[in-house]
Amino acid sequence: MRLNFIHFRSAYLFALGFSGAMALHSFARADWPMFRGPNAGSVSLEAKLPTTFGGEQKQNIAWRTELPGRSVGGVIVVGDQAITTSSSGMDQRRLHLVSLNTKDGSIRWEQELVARGRPFCHPTSANAAPTPASDGKYVFAFYSSNDIACVDMEGNLVWYRSLSTDFPKAGNDVGMSSSPVVVDGVCVVQIECQGDSFAAGLNAADGEVLWKLDRPKQANWSSPTIVKMLNGDQVVVMQSSEDLLAVSPKTGKLLWEMKLKCSTIPSTIAAEGRLFVPANGLTAFDLSSVGTNPSKLWDNNKLSANACSPLIVGKRVYTISRTVLASGDLFSGEFKWQARLPDAKSIWSSPVVAGNNLYVFGDDGRCFVVELGEEEGKVVATNELGEAVLGSPAIAGNAMYVRGVSSVWKIAEK
Amino acid sequence: MTVRLGKRTIRCAILSIAAFSSCFVGVCTQTANAQSSQEAIKLLQTMTAGDASTLAATIAIKQLGNAKDVTLIQTLSAMKGSTPLGRNWLSGLANSLYRKSGSTQSAELSKFLADQSQDGEARYMVFQWLTVKNPELRKEMLVKMNQDSSPELRFLAIDEAVKEKLEVKQLTPLLDAARHPSQVIYIIDKLKQLGETIDQSKQLGFITEWQMIGPFDHVGIANFDKAFPVETDWANGKLQDEYQGKKETVKWKVETTKAPDGMVDLATLFEKEKGCIIYAVNEFESDKEQDAEVRLGCINGNKIWVNGKLVMSNEVYHTGTQIDQYAEPIRLKAGKNQILLKICQNEQKEQWAQDYQFQLRICDSTGKAILTKGR
Repeated sequence: MRLNFIHFRSAYLFALGFSGAMALHSFARADWPMFRGPNAGSVSLEAKLPTTFGGEQKQNIAWRTELPGRSVGGVIVVGDQAITTSSSGMDQRRLHLVSLNTKDGSIRWEQELVARGRPFCHPTSANAAPTPASDGKYVFAFYSSNDIACVDMEGNLVWYRSLSTDFPKAGNDVGMSSSPVVVDGVCVVQIECQGDSFAAGLNAADGEVLWKLDRPKQANWSSPTIVKMLNGDQVVVMQSSEDLLAVSPKTGKLLWEMKLKCSTIPSTIAAEGRLFVPANGLTAFDLSSVGTNPSKLWDNNKLSANACSPLIVGKRVYTISRTVLASGDLFSGEFKWQARLPDAKSIWSSPVVAGNNLYVFGDDGRCFVVELGEEEGKVVATNELGEAVLGSPAIAGNAMYVRGVSSVWKIAEK
Repeated sequence: MTVRLGKRTIRCAILSIAAFSSCFVGVCTQTANAQSSQEAIKLLQTMTAGDASTLAATIAIKQLGNAKDVTLIQTLSAMKGSTPLGRNWLSGLANSLYRKSGSTQSAELSKFLADQSQDGEARYMVFQWLTVKNPELRKEMLVKMNQDSSPELRFLAIDEAVKEKLEVKQLTPLLDAARHPSQVIYIIDKLKQLGETIDQSKQLGFITEWQMIGPFDHVGIANFDKAFPVETDWANGKLQDEYQGKKETVKWKVETTKAPDGMVDLATLFEKEKGCIIYAVNEFESDKEQDAEVRLGCINGNKIWVNGKLVMSNEVYHTGTQIDQYAEPIRLKAGKNQILLKICQNEQKEQWAQDYQFQLRICDSTGKAILTKGR
């Protein structure tokens, strides 16, 4: 009897160990799994990146891989894969999803579909505008045309939906750009436009629409943000020109909502139990009360963001308005300093931080490196890639992956 | 809640069938397995929107990805006659199969590409596979594709051809072959530089003569769906000479646009009125009964009726526009066809939200112009 029990227990533990190993095997390590990276923070404090790169000497460029068509989205990094989308061909109807080996930039796998929704966009944008997302098991590629594909980590198509076929008036001919997020086995998309305007949670494994939430019928290019509450629950926060709200990712249940005129391009960020929303400049809310509307802590119109999403390092919040980087106190909202990015023209790419340096790309492909100090921000380098960059970079290990409109670059110390 | 339960029930049923079919496949003969794969391909071919079909297709593509009896050429061939959604599912499967064994099948893929009766999207994909690492072969093949049945391949071929410095005798057949407006306009510009005179508006099939009436009230964007008497009278074939407009009695006026892109500028014609609706009417004479497409570029809210039937409705304001922004299939009668447009302007005050205009053309499904009789 005792022996049987031990055998049973061993078998049970073996099975448990096996299933754990299986899980580890099937879920690759996600280094920068979606737009703005882990926790939508855009920060990797441990990363050591070169401050000077590119130029005619191609300094500290580990590799560059040209891809078909164009993209204004970002790149994500999952394990040893750098994954990105692009759109090409007639009216940018061809939709590409490409994985590159992080080691050498060689193409690992590709998937290709045709847009079934409206592919039109402003000439400076692309159908491939949203950044893909991954949970380590699947990759979700979403496009302005509201086509969404899920593939496994080897690029095999798991499911596909044309959300513009499901909801025919979803679309915006300036181009959509809201990036999806994946949380608790649900891929959340925010499709806000003058037609069929909604947010939806799709089952990551099979594409079933688990919930759908009607949204204001106004164009919105901001992305949903995953926020971990103090009780450990993960919620999805969404903003629009009319409101700010949070839903449960699994059910779409509305957890709280408030009327607020938020920006419709930069997205929200959370840190230290607070939510920082691009609204009235920047507005901070207290998230410590679960289940009730967050209370407003402060707002400051000197910390406004017109296109780039804000980011937080330590006790400071950083925003970019046009070509000026501003710093404020995370807790009081007090404006601290600002630094003009020299000769910058137009900036769409949200910045990232590695160590104590902020990296931000202009749409002419110049990258400004700003050393972040308590009292000032000092531009320590300006680097030329020679290719337009509109998507936000990814950081993994001691490398930065940059999605130019026609290629992906790996930047690392040589 | 009821819907949710319903969806769950469908999902359980599909998963049960899949589990059963999976066991079934495991113990069956090779022949039975092949039938099962054929059924799965058929399911992908007929894909429609919605949860139930997506869930079924998710199971089918997984099964096909593991099947030993599904070939790349079979998958590509299945794209012919598939629904648009089905073609994407099959395309996804084909990409996976190509990664596994495609490089060993150049001969079969070349044969598939040469067969213009196959699906155009599938052939485009094959063309890219075959030529991505061989730019010389790509160039060589594209030279022969100006008249290809695949609009995408034809587009690529013309794109490649116009990179060269061409004379009139080379550009003229390219203009005849071109379907996409951007290429038509580009070639016409090149011909103009060489001294040729081409009516761009006619080449693209824009309707240039319109009878128009308005403005009617649309303050607060309240009347997009209101049927003003013009609509009902037009449907009954009894249009009046004048109607009560937004501020006063309004009468029909005739406008002939000379714009090369067929643009009709309502802001200029109606004194920059905001919060209003203009109706435009055209009688289009087709020399035969035929399938066609009505294609509209319009940055304002719009509706179009053809021969009494509503064919287009877009309640969208100031979010971009271009030629062929909206396209819908229509059936033209031999003889006179009645076209009615309702173009709605909102009251946005921003400088970029002042345009009030439209451009409309009639063409076949490939984009080739169909002209009204006598033009």
